[in-house]
Amino acid sequence: MLQGAKMLRSLLTLRQTSQRTINTTSCRQFKNRVPEKQKLFQEEDGLPVHLKGGVTDHLLYRTTMAVTVFGTIYAVYELFVAGMPKKQK
Amino acid sequence: MTHQTHLFHMVNPSPWPIMGAMAAMMLTVGLVLWFHCNLNLILFLGLISTLLIMFQWWRDIVRESTYLGHHTPPVQKGLRYGMILFITSEVFFFLGFFWAFYHSSLAPTPELGGQWPPTGITTLDPFEVPLLNTAVLLASGVTVTWAHHSLMEANRASAIHALILTIILGLYFTALQAMEYYEAPFTIADSSYGSTFFVATGFHGLHVIIGSTFLMTCLYRQTMHHFTSNHHFGFEAAAWYWHFVDVVWLFLYISIYWWGS
Repeated sequence: MLQGAKMLRSLLTLRQTSQRTINTTSCRQFKNRVPEKQKLFQEEDGLPVHLKGGVTDHLLYRTTMAVTVFGTIYAVYELFVAGMPKKQK
Repeated sequence: MTHQTHLFHMVNPSPWPIMGAMAAMMLTVGLVLWFHCNLNLILFLGLISTLLIMFQWWRDIVRESTYLGHHTPPVQKGLRYGMILFITSEVFFFLGFFWAFYHSSLAPTPELGGQWPPTGITTLDPFEVPLLNTAVLLASGVTVTWAHHSLMEANRASAIHALILTIILGLYFTALQAMEYYEAPFTIADSSYGSTFFVATGFHGLHVIIGSTFLMTCLYRQTMHHFTSNHHFGFEAAAWYWHFVDVVWLFLYISIYWWGS
């Protein structure tokens, strides 16, 4: 009987704890971080907006630039090749 | 320290416009090379670069507005004009396909059997899945309006719920339409019936996907506290676009599915 009561109490405590945890977790996930972002992006560091977020911005920019420039040059090359007369046998 | 004394937005020099143009060239040239020279690398690179550029350009606009406060009332007015003009251009885009449909269907040629639908074409029953699709999109128009009112009343949870519902309805439409495409008894190659049907509904479906993506972005921004009760133009633009997609479907349903069957 005492064992049963103890188990019930621990079960109820677990339920309360998990509810509280879920509540605070979801609140923390959707906490308003806009003021922090505003502070970061309004820093007077002379960086343009597309690079102001940090290292990820620079990496993403370089990757995009690489793909775009390579692709454009390759496209022009293939157009040139396609425009050349085919070799006659 | 110099500060501007006017309300307009002097944008930082940005690489995205020129790179966007290069990506557009890669898409068009890539398509041609895929069709005619069996090369698909350039098309693939074009798609990758387009996605990367779109992400970064719009990310920068969010930074300029929400984090830097550059979207003053005159700037927002310009954005409203811009979105209206863009949607108007899309209206004309669809008008062309409706013109093609009515051109073929109002005076069916002898090659089609002199009738519309052409001989041999089994049309889709307009009162089955197409009617469900109509109900789904109309309902999504209601839920997006609910989301807007919730936003304006600063009811955060309600706005999120309504946005989620709108997106689910949009995805449901896409899934139903994909199933219809798979099960259809005719193909795009089946005379002008097939081509007008699949090109018009196909471009519409693409716009539903674009609109759903726009709404998903708004959902993300709403959860991140970007929108306020009186400043949420990104959401309004998404809602306008969504209503446009809904109206195009209504015209498609009446013209192609119902009258054309």
